[in-house]
Amino acid sequence: MTKYNFSTVEEMPPLAFSLESTRMIPTGSWRHVRPVYRDKNSPCHITCPAGEKIPAYFELVRQKKYAEAWYKILEDNPLPGVTGRVCYHPCEAQCNRAGYDGAVAIHNIERYVADKNLQNKKLPAAVESPKSEKVAVIGSGPAGLSCAYQLSRMGYRAIIYESDHEPGGMLRYGIPDYRLPKKILDKEIKDIETLGVEIRTDSRIGGNVAWNELERYDAVFVAVGAGHSREMETPGEDLKGVYSGIHFLRELNAGNVPKVGRNVLVVGGGNTAIDAARSALRLGKRVTVLYRRTRADMPAVPGEIEEAEKEGVHFEFLVAPVGLSGDKGKVSEIELVKMKLGDPDESGRKRPVPVKGSNFSLKADTIISAVGEEPDLSFLPYSFLKKGIRLLVDDDYTTGVPGIFAGGDAATNPNGTVVNAIRAGKEAAISIHEFLGWRSRSNGASHNAVTPEEVNTFYFPHGNRVKVPTQTIQKSKSAFSEVNRTLTEEQALTEAERCFTCGTCLHCDVCMTFCPDVAISKDESGEYVIDYDHCKGCGICVEECPRGAMELIPEGAREPAEEVD
Amino acid sequence: MGQIKYQLPPEEVLAPGHFACPGCGATLTMRYALKALGRKTVVVIPACCWSVIDGPVPYSAAGVPVFHTAFETAASTACGVKAGLDAQGDHETTVLAFAGDGGTFDIGLQALSGAAERNEDFIYICYDNEAYMNTGIQRSSATPLGAWTTTTPTESPKAEKKKNIVEILAAHRIPYLATASVAYPDDMISKIRKAKDIRGFKFIHVFSPCPPGWKFEPEDSIKISRMAIESKVFPLIEIFHGTDYKLSKEPEGVPVRDYIKIQGRFRHLDEERIGIIQENVDEEWERLYSKCVPTTQAHHAGSGEFQGERRSSAALSIRETDSAKKKVQSARR
Amino acid sequence: MEGRNGMNTTNSGLLHPSIEKVVVMEGTHAASYAVKLARVQVIAAYPITPQTSVVEKLSEIVSDGELDAKFIKVESEHSAMACCIGSSISGARAFTATSSQGLALMHELLHWAAGSRLPIVMVNVNRAMAPPWSIYVDHNDSLSQRDTGWLQFYAESNQEVTDTVLQAYKIAETVSLPVMINLDAFVLSHTSEPVAIPKQELVDEFLPARKASFKVDTSDPRAFGALIGPEAYMEMRYKLYQAMEDARSVIREVDRDFANMFGRSYGGLVEEYMAEDAETVLITSATAVSTARIAVDELRSMGFPVGLMKIRTFRPFPVDEIRALAKHVRKIGVMDRNVSFGATGIIYQETKAVLYNAPDRPAVFGFIAGLGGRDITPETINEIFSYLMNHEEPVSEAVWVGLKTAGADRPEPPFPENSAAMKRSDGV
Repeated sequence: MTKYNFSTVEEMPPLAFSLESTRMIPTGSWRHVRPVYRDKNSPCHITCPAGEKIPAYFELVRQKKYAEAWYKILEDNPLPGVTGRVCYHPCEAQCNRAGYDGAVAIHNIERYVADKNLQNKKLPAAVESPKSEKVAVIGSGPAGLSCAYQLSRMGYRAIIYESDHEPGGMLRYGIPDYRLPKKILDKEIKDIETLGVEIRTDSRIGGNVAWNELERYDAVFVAVGAGHSREMETPGEDLKGVYSGIHFLRELNAGNVPKVGRNVLVVGGGNTAIDAARSALRLGKRVTVLYRRTRADMPAVPGEIEEAEKEGVHFEFLVAPVGLSGDKGKVSEIELVKMKLGDPDESGRKRPVPVKGSNFSLKADTIISAVGEEPDLSFLPYSFLKKGIRLLVDDDYTTGVPGIFAGGDAATNPNGTVVNAIRAGKEAAISIHEFLGWRSRSNGASHNAVTPEEVNTFYFPHGNRVKVPTQTIQKSKSAFSEVNRTLTEEQALTEAERCFTCGTCLHCDVCMTFCPDVAISKDESGEYVIDYDHCKGCGICVEECPRGAMELIPEGAREPAEEVD
Repeated sequence: MGQIKYQLPPEEVLAPGHFACPGCGATLTMRYALKALGRKTVVVIPACCWSVIDGPVPYSAAGVPVFHTAFETAASTACGVKAGLDAQGDHETTVLAFAGDGGTFDIGLQALSGAAERNEDFIYICYDNEAYMNTGIQRSSATPLGAWTTTTPTESPKAEKKKNIVEILAAHRIPYLATASVAYPDDMISKIRKAKDIRGFKFIHVFSPCPPGWKFEPEDSIKISRMAIESKVFPLIEIFHGTDYKLSKEPEGVPVRDYIKIQGRFRHLDEERIGIIQENVDEEWERLYSKCVPTTQAHHAGSGEFQGERRSSAALSIRETDSAKKKVQSARR
Repeated sequence: MEGRNGMNTTNSGLLHPSIEKVVVMEGTHAASYAVKLARVQVIAAYPITPQTSVVEKLSEIVSDGELDAKFIKVESEHSAMACCIGSSISGARAFTATSSQGLALMHELLHWAAGSRLPIVMVNVNRAMAPPWSIYVDHNDSLSQRDTGWLQFYAESNQEVTDTVLQAYKIAETVSLPVMINLDAFVLSHTSEPVAIPKQELVDEFLPARKASFKVDTSDPRAFGALIGPEAYMEMRYKLYQAMEDARSVIREVDRDFANMFGRSYGGLVEEYMAEDAETVLITSATAVSTARIAVDELRSMGFPVGLMKIRTFRPFPVDEIRALAKHVRKIGVMDRNVSFGATGIIYQETKAVLYNAPDRPAVFGFIAGLGGRDITPETINEIFSYLMNHEEPVSEAVWVGLKTAGADRPEPPFPENSAAMKRSDGV
């Protein structure tokens, strides 16, 4: 056809027909809101105390890149085999899938990834170049291990002083085998050592190692945990047959089975109480847990309580010990008083109040007291500031003494969980890094997570949460073998598929599929490109994004920075 | 079991820069249709939104030849184009009549019926936005019961039910008839491709939401389309030879109320009138359902790529995404 | 060339070498056979009396395989035209036929076809518009389509129907405009006359296959007829206007070429009969021309200087031809087989309009005759000539000839009574 245009009648075609594509028309000028790709945080990630990048490692799991998934976890937590077993997984409570068809079993996937890499000798390299500074870490529990590990990744020499014969702290001595087999712990500690962390066992600061020895370090992290059982403060506590929960578990874990009678009473409602009760049960005893509040108030992980009950542990609620009496120096009876709930205390729970005249007694040949733990800080030479029984630290884990940091159960604000100790170690490592004159990458991450409403659940067919395989009670009771099992690969993959991957673009093409303006395409590297010359800002891409990884912003506004940690 | 994803033909025939309103369903319909049919296609467009959307002289968005024709002549003009191509020995090019509901249900019905009865060999896609949108939202016979339009004001909204164009076409015993939705693009594309491979008259009725006409925010176009399907307001079916009905997707039975409540054109309706609409929808659904062979068979006979039916419950899937909504609205402000 | 219609028969009785055979047939079939000869590719039509035999014959021709065309038996004239538009924009040669109400139903699409510059050819059997129902001839149906951008031909004989269909495609495809060929209901459509059927190979030479200069083409995708703003609509209309202007010379050329090849000519836009030296000329069209020829012959034999101008094309209107005629005649009578209510006969109006700006302006008289199939006989024509000779200036804008009335509008009595007044003024 001849060259036409529509400027003069002579140049016009004989009839009105098109000469070019509408691509010439910048319909983007109609737009007053602009879609942008913006990865956001998932609620699980925000909630995870260790800050694990859960959507990211789930995506690697779905791709069956298990080693990469493991490395991804290791960026934040050197002990996934441990946390995959014993973490109370607050992530799942916040999972956006919880209100849809059940939270994703994040906990089990973490364990799957860790276990899948049990034989993996190839560890991730340190992320930063070696530095000359050395840091001493006191205590090889989860806080100490985490801190030393992170420091090591950052290029520091980290030396852990451990008073016990073997490293691990409460992980080793406080958690029974049926929940955390020692070989898992050993393996992960070994990995930490392989990465360059030196662990000096049988080295008690203030004991065989003088505090002064620490002066040659550039910083110190105190992570001695809370390894001492609190006393019940009732008469008769020194009778034979009365154990502290920590002591009981410690002996058991060290292979020295304590002498226990047929009828075991456990006093307390925390994890130590439950661990002790279930361990005693495994020794073939009749076990009753006595707790002064109600079941709902128990600080122990609910799943653990449930399992204990299933296994045959008895519970008595709203009772408190008043006194112990014995026969020939050996405990034989406990006197209890019934409690009722009064006004809420500082923990928000209703305060248990004794009911006058309700005292009664129970026969017992073993009493395990697990009413709380506290740190032993007697080795500290200076008068460190304390709050109650714990070291007072600031948000950045600094103590009042320059260069000395503290975290974990020994410091203030712990909730006594493994994962919070790991978090403390990690964050303290960053503080130490900064103390040593380095600038850490900004941690100004937003704590806004993708809400359930931002997830377009249409794209996610309903699917039940995986049922975690367990050993039969009879079988698990018979020994201290692990109760919960690792998922099969099929289970893990199916469960990983359930993850919405909130806030992280997976290049699923939904945005591109539904763009009426043909304004979204993919570049050579597979990344989406929005053609703002033509996008009219209808917002369908944002609304349809299955996982809230896009946002509409007013036209003319600056594009927001990525929010993701 | 993972995420529902769509595998669309990668080629974009439709160009950006067209004149559709933001969030236009009719435009997505064209985009998918051209993806399904490819570049060897001639499109005939009567008076409708697409007379504007394709662009004014000297522009065109379609990427294939387009002939703009008179309001009531989509079918008859397409029939002529096909005959002309055939007469010149071109049996390859697909002819597509692409008309709105006014041009199909109302003014173009005679020509449509004629072409259907003669079993003319072309595809007729009606993008149904349920009123005369290009002229500014006047009622058509495709406007649903109870809806507001500028000629059915809220004081006297449309008192009549939507015309059942599908049954009208089925009565012509055409070889292939299907309904489709912009919310289920893979289903739509597989149906259009199927139509391409069948000789004779093919009619595809596409639910194409209109944000300004139905009074909803443009980002909700897909959600509303999905709800129309899931609430049985607009069932996805195929009809072979006018007699063999196959359900493409078992709706989840979301209350019609949920569908109605998010559109301004129904804002005036009280619960009682919503109840009447629900009854009508149920009645029509029962009538249709009784003609359909079971879903699984329909699935095999029908669209192979369709994934939507895997969902078992959608009460949540199409709920109001309130906080996302608020964000969008505040962004709009 | 001699005789009406230019039918060339030699003294020896041999046919012109271009003629395959001569067949006696009715006017509708004369159209059908021309469609076959033109190798039309798509036919779309809907039946209406008295057009039906056009499409019935075509159905036979197509189903017998004599013509390789798609025949779409549409459900209305509206769709017939839409089909023609569709097939024509695809590059094919398209044909339809209709009449009266059917043509009126097509109206919107007549604009569409012309605006799309499509060389569609249509035969319209002129039939009066209802109500009241009438199936007989007058020209109000086609003349109502005056401003749609179609060329309009009016045929006088069956031979002219055939020949004009062939010419029409050539003209249409040259100027990219649609052409309507009109023939009078029954008077022509259902009257049998001998028609010379030309040899196909010569027709093919005269009218090669259509080469569309623009069409829907997937290798050069364009949108046709989209929205256009005031900044260019006018120019597009000017293009169409200019095409119609250009059509005048094309019509003349095509008629000359046709004459060279087939030995028959129709004079282009008009055909004059005894007009060269006439003082009084009657302008009219279609079959009435044949009747008028007889009346003129008769009056000439009596010594009256009368002549005829046959309007062959109403669109484009023969401006130059009428102005040339005006140079040498004293009076022009226009006989319209139509009426524009609120005005006058339509050809009368247009004739006057053409002369207003011309240097020579003879008196122009308007006559309305033959509506709804009322016979136009030699007596009717005589009555008109008589009126013309008895009046120096028109006293009425529309003289209704043969109107059954007791009133004053009745025309003058027939000429023999006033024969003296009718003698040539110069006494020749």
